[in-house]
Amino acid sequence: MKDSCSVVSRLLEKYFDREMTDEERSLVEAHLLDCQACQDRLRSMEELRDLVKAPVEEAVQNEDFQWIWQKIERGIRLEERHTFWETLQAWLQISPLFQRKVWIPAVAAMTIILLITIPLFFKKTPSLLDQSVIEYVESQTHNVMIYESENKKVTVIWLFEGPAEETPSS
Amino acid sequence: MRKIISLTTFFLILLIPISVAFAQVQTRIRVIEASNVGSSIDPSLRDVQSELKSLSNFTSYRLLKDENLSLSLNRAVDIPVHKGRSLEITLISQRKDMAECRVKIKSEGTDILNTQVRLFSGRTVLIVGPKHGEGLAIIALSARF
Amino acid sequence: MELISRCQQGDPDALKEIFDQYHKKVYRIAYGVVRQREEALDIVQEVFIKLYRSIRNFKGQSKFYTYLYRMAINTAIDHARKMGRSHFSSLDEIEGFQPSDGVEKRPDSILLRKELEERVKTSLEKLPTDQRMALIFREVEGLSYQEMAETMGCSIGTVMSRLHYARKRIQKLLKDYVKEEKRE
Repeated sequence: MKDSCSVVSRLLEKYFDREMTDEERSLVEAHLLDCQACQDRLRSMEELRDLVKAPVEEAVQNEDFQWIWQKIERGIRLEERHTFWETLQAWLQISPLFQRKVWIPAVAAMTIILLITIPLFFKKTPSLLDQSVIEYVESQTHNVMIYESENKKVTVIWLFEGPAEETPSS
Repeated sequence: MRKIISLTTFFLILLIPISVAFAQVQTRIRVIEASNVGSSIDPSLRDVQSELKSLSNFTSYRLLKDENLSLSLNRAVDIPVHKGRSLEITLISQRKDMAECRVKIKSEGTDILNTQVRLFSGRTVLIVGPKHGEGLAIIALSARF
Repeated sequence: MELISRCQQGDPDALKEIFDQYHKKVYRIAYGVVRQREEALDIVQEVFIKLYRSIRNFKGQSKFYTYLYRMAINTAIDHARKMGRSHFSSLDEIEGFQPSDGVEKRPDSILLRKELEERVKTSLEKLPTDQRMALIFREVEGLSYQEMAETMGCSIGTVMSRLHYARKRIQKLLKDYVKEEKRE
């Protein structure tokens, strides 16, 4: 019994995980008929699996995932705001106009001059409604997102769970 | 001359309640619980109904608290909002139809949120989250002028 | 594969289809690691946003599910590490942790269940990352050894070894809740 037990105990996990050949399975099942120790070991593996798995299955059963997709879509829309700059970068790289490096300082100087002078011509006192609703926002405990509704009648400050600082993810 | 002085005095006296009224702002604070328990939206939330529904896919929006506060310049008002949390609102400055307020949401001595907002006539600020049980807590701030 | 290439080309419906196919699996992996509903849902959200961001880098050299499962478990373990600081952090605390005295010890009593869940969670956190991955993939997601090897980027032998040591360690940590083996 002991010899076959030492052989089978090495195979028991494979048996439990249904990763055996038919021959191996027959060997283990024949041994299990008479070996209480191996039966107990198998049972404890089942109990362990149940402890780890059962709460997960229950959580999946009880969950409604529809609204999660909406949150994902929203997150993606926020991501897509960056792609405009990536597109601009890509355009600058392929445009023949900007491949001659001599243009760069000229364009840069022109841009700076325009950026300084144009607002001086078009400066207007902002009306109350043009002013932003949020002057500042900070949170010690949560991440914050701000956005306005399309009709500009509602401004949303959204607090997400998590620390305020960025932490690198793998 | 006497007539002019008495008329001026009369109008100045009239101005006192007006200026006192002007130094205060009426704000409305609504505390809302969004969840999937039930499928109704409180009737007093009709003005922000479409925005609430666009925030998430919760089926029910229940009004937990609806308070009208009269804010005076630089005087903080503290009200409990939901479990273990309070909201502190202070009027910082005011114009014809705009009130600038500092708003803090605190929990156990920590500032969960510290923000300064401008409340305009006809506009609402929604502070969404953090989570409230299985749903979300939402605070709606608006002002009347 | 067609679905993946549509997604890589920016087809928004393709990502939704991928979500419909895989969200429960990702949730299982996430919940298996963090054992909390809100955290698990945050992880699912983060994984699919990460997927959207990175899917153009997926060259098809491995199977798509291995790519997604690896992303899911790494994200979940990162979250668990951040969360873990606020929970039991020393083995002594776990081993000294006993079901409350005076509480009915039927397995279905709510308090005992919560204690048990907490114990399972902290025990899982004590496992080295590779062993924890192996245990979650096998016990929660039901992957075969072959699938686990492809996902974890190792041999089947290594998978079996990690699984063996993970089970052994978890059984030791949960010895009050799992019947000990009777040795002849």
